[in-house]
Amino acid sequence: MKFAFFPGCTMAYRLPFAEKSIRMVVPHFDVELVDLAFTCCPEPNTVRALSDDTWITLAARNIALAEAEGLNILTACAGCHESLSLAKHELDENPDRKNKVNELLKDLGLEYKGTSTIVHVHQLLFDEIGIESISSKVVRPVPIKVVTHTGCHLLRPERVLHVDNAEVPVKLDMLCESLGMVPLEYMDKTMCCGAGVRKINSVTSYAILREKMTSIAMVEPNAIVVFCPTCFITFESGQRVANRIFGTDFKIPVFYYTELLAIALNLPETDILLAEHRVKIELPTSTETKEENKTETKDSIPSSP
Amino acid sequence: MPERRIGVFLCHCGSNIAGVIDLEVLKQAVQSLPDVEIVTDYKYVCSKPGQKILKDSIKKHKLNGIVIASCSPRMHEPTFRQVLREIGLNPFLLEIANIREHVSWIHANDPKAATEKAIDLVRMAIARARLLEPLEEPEVSIKKSTLIVGGGIAGISAALDLANAGFKVYLVEKEPSIGGKMSRWDKTFPTLDCSSCILTPRMAEVGNHENITLLTMAQVEEVEGYVGNFKVKIKQIPRYVDIEKCTSCGDCSDICPVDIPAEFDANLSYRKAIYIPFAQAVPSAYVLDMENCLGVEAVKCGKCEDKCEAKAISYDDKEKIIEIEVGTIIVSTGFELFDASKKEEYGYGHFPNVVNLGEIERMLSSAGPTRGHVLKPSNLTEPKKIVYVQCVGSRDELTNRYCSRVCCMTAIKQARMIRDKTGASIYMFYIDLRTFGKGYEEFYESTAAAGVTFIRGRVGEILQNEKTMNLIVRGEDTLLGKPIQLDDVDLVVLSTGVVAADATNKIAHVLNLSISPDGFLLEAHPKLRPVDSFNDGIFVAGMAQGPKDIPDTVAQAKAAASGAMALMGKGKINVEPYYSVVDEERCAGCQVCISVCPYNAVTLNERGYAEVNPAVCKGCGTCTATCASGAITSQHYTDGQIAAMIQEYLSTRYWA
Amino acid sequence: MSDMSEDLQTNRLKELKETALPCFQCGVCSSSCPVFRVSPELNPRVSVDSIISRGKVPSEGNEWLCAYCLMCDQRCPMGVSLAEILMVIKNISAKEGQAPPDVIESAESLMADGCQSPISSRSEKQREDMGLPKLPRADPEDVKMLFRATGAAEVLELNRSTSGEASE
Repeated sequence: MKFAFFPGCTMAYRLPFAEKSIRMVVPHFDVELVDLAFTCCPEPNTVRALSDDTWITLAARNIALAEAEGLNILTACAGCHESLSLAKHELDENPDRKNKVNELLKDLGLEYKGTSTIVHVHQLLFDEIGIESISSKVVRPVPIKVVTHTGCHLLRPERVLHVDNAEVPVKLDMLCESLGMVPLEYMDKTMCCGAGVRKINSVTSYAILREKMTSIAMVEPNAIVVFCPTCFITFESGQRVANRIFGTDFKIPVFYYTELLAIALNLPETDILLAEHRVKIELPTSTETKEENKTETKDSIPSSP
Repeated sequence: MPERRIGVFLCHCGSNIAGVIDLEVLKQAVQSLPDVEIVTDYKYVCSKPGQKILKDSIKKHKLNGIVIASCSPRMHEPTFRQVLREIGLNPFLLEIANIREHVSWIHANDPKAATEKAIDLVRMAIARARLLEPLEEPEVSIKKSTLIVGGGIAGISAALDLANAGFKVYLVEKEPSIGGKMSRWDKTFPTLDCSSCILTPRMAEVGNHENITLLTMAQVEEVEGYVGNFKVKIKQIPRYVDIEKCTSCGDCSDICPVDIPAEFDANLSYRKAIYIPFAQAVPSAYVLDMENCLGVEAVKCGKCEDKCEAKAISYDDKEKIIEIEVGTIIVSTGFELFDASKKEEYGYGHFPNVVNLGEIERMLSSAGPTRGHVLKPSNLTEPKKIVYVQCVGSRDELTNRYCSRVCCMTAIKQARMIRDKTGASIYMFYIDLRTFGKGYEEFYESTAAAGVTFIRGRVGEILQNEKTMNLIVRGEDTLLGKPIQLDDVDLVVLSTGVVAADATNKIAHVLNLSISPDGFLLEAHPKLRPVDSFNDGIFVAGMAQGPKDIPDTVAQAKAAASGAMALMGKGKINVEPYYSVVDEERCAGCQVCISVCPYNAVTLNERGYAEVNPAVCKGCGTCTATCASGAITSQHYTDGQIAAMIQEYLSTRYWA
Repeated sequence: MSDMSEDLQTNRLKELKETALPCFQCGVCSSSCPVFRVSPELNPRVSVDSIISRGKVPSEGNEWLCAYCLMCDQRCPMGVSLAEILMVIKNISAKEGQAPPDVIESAESLMADGCQSPISSRSEKQREDMGLPKLPRADPEDVKMLFRATGAAEVLELNRSTSGEASE
């Protein structure tokens, strides 16, 4: 499988190690990535809030670039995924709008046709590659307790995205399980991390994060697993800000899923990834492979304090 | 055919018609048309003096075709037909031009165009009147027996009314006992009288009534025939216990080693494989659930048969097909509770302490699984903080759009009972409280005064604290515009709405009944024929027709019984002659008409030609339109009559 | 395309008014809204009520608090998309020069760089150190052209001048 890779601004320039992890793991599943001259997706809460036409035209330009190469787009960020998917949905449903957008794209030598699909890494791993294929490649299980946060913009609007059940998402939990993790149920699983309003009103944003973190901390996970760089940053850096503002004491490591996948596949250079984390974690150092010692893997799950 | 002599009668309807349409112009326009003998107008043709003018004119001018330009035939066609009968003229020689609903009411702002349209309509009516034929209304006899499908409070009430009036009743119930949902409910609102105390005497009466044949564990498989003469095939699945011999001593159940969640108790308790659904069940006999029985041979189990002194248990019981003939049918198949697990944000099915209304009813019942105590399912302690969430599965485009009508009052009643018994804090989130019945609003007010807190706002989500199993409920107090979060809630009760039962769908299929978009049975007219179906002789009652409470259900059941009695009392009825007739000279016997008839009214006769059963035919005209050889005529709506109307219209519009 | 944009906006608001009409103010949107939980000044239910019963767009600044998480959209029993309605209100507010400074800043960056936040040499270096490829970039002139042709440049201009006034 070959994709036009769409890491998105946030991942590319603020969370490069997460991007690195994606580029590390996908060749192991026969996936090839191509880089194209994409712009920001663009982010709905800024560009679309200013002008719906600008939003849809820029999104159409991005998709048209991939279409020109005959490629589907692989997104890595929930926000990019939703923005491109909603734009595609609107353009495919509304021929008038598509024509107007195409008049502008013509000047750039591009045309939006609607031939490329938008696939998130979440969908690539769960729907295309599959749990079985992933777990068959795991050589170094990661025996930690985690909570998963799929992210608003991968779940909703459910009628357009179809990534997972928007009220009871389970697929990321299953993906974690396939790497030997124990996913925990927690309250507010489908709730927003707060990132969407950080630029507008940071106190509101961190208050939302505090609510979310309170629910997460209640079940005492070893880490939070996400599928979106924006959620990653909100959780990881945000919890320190929330601690400052509200006097809380959150200190939970955060992972982009493919980082853990890289570790479970026992790929070289995963230490580079972990070095960039601000909330450090000592992953259980068991180097035994899965084949050698299945039962001990289970025993080495740290019990909750 | 004798020479046609047509009388045209123009009704003013006060100023309803005359205020818009220029009746003088209309009169001028039609009075010289061929065959028109006389044109008269009057203030109210439907009134006594109006009817006299009609009669006098018919006599005086020897009229044999009547055109009345007035309101919709829906209103006064029967009135005018009766006038014709009284004067000795065939009632089907009447044609009504609707110049009120179709003209004056809707074109009031353009009297000129309205008058032109009225002229067109009357000319067309005259054209048809030239070709109307006298028709006879065939008479069919009616069997004096009724099939009632569904033995809940609706079926029971209808059965007793009919049986007491001397009619034979066959009451068919798919469960082992009659009683329906009402037998599972604890108290009734707003009087708080015990549901089973008022129901079980009626059940016992049904069980003992000489005019009622009770068929439990049975379902209607096939119905043929028509009003007055239905042939019904009923399948009864084996009970493995002889109702006549069983003394309901319970020895069989005591010794049975199998435990299964009890449906009657909303799966909150266990029953045996051989069991009686509840103490006052009718028939008062045990039933063996063969699916869960260990085995009937002695090697496997066979303990109950050994133990039964009355020798009532028979492992050889077989499925029975029972065939009966009845004159009328009443459908009262009830409802099911909405499956709350479809509202995933409320966690029903995942969170043990989220329950539905039906489960609380069983807990409240002193004969129920918790002996009348409402308990937290997670640890069986008494809840101190309870939240009711209204409109779960009602007033919701994502599930059901309609209001389920009974959940507000059921929830208020339950909250009141729990509050009075235990003093628990109770919060009820609602959108609108619908307390429409007699004494209902007063009951709500006194419940609020008793300390139940009512919050206007639909709950967004319910979360479970994984450690304590307690719940968090989030909503908005929309009257204050403030977010509200209730923590450490012990129990959430989802006020689950009602949905049409599967059984309703099945019987609708068997009886060819219409279903409204909400899934419930469609009545013939929402106001004037609320318990009639579109099929003559078949009535609907209770929740099968739509959500309603017990008083309304009983009222409908009694209405359906009286509708059935009205038909059967006379012993015969006249059928409207709007049925199709086959001209055997032209029929090719291709049977296409048989395949398209939605009422199964057409059969192939012994001569190999199509034949229409007048009592079953509704005159829809599908066969007429389909017949390739033009052999079928829809009486009173013949091709010739319709063509004449169209021709008249076109001639006035384009060639006049 | 700017004219088309205006028409589209009015038309979309008209459409949204129609889609908002089924709302019976049950409050499931606000109950599910993470922002409303901590900042009740954003109440999607009240915003819709204002559109329906006052025929007025409540662009009072609170609309910018919507995180567009779409929880309300998911749960509305009448199929009303509150988040989309709030998005149109944001559009109108931006046209009135009321967009928050940080939103303007991000959009300016996107128009200049093709990216929401300015791409620093430090982050380029970090990518390089990590062995990540240099990402191809869009021609800035193309992006500017699209901004101009689709109305965002105009809205940006307007907001720049109003924020200038405010600071004076």
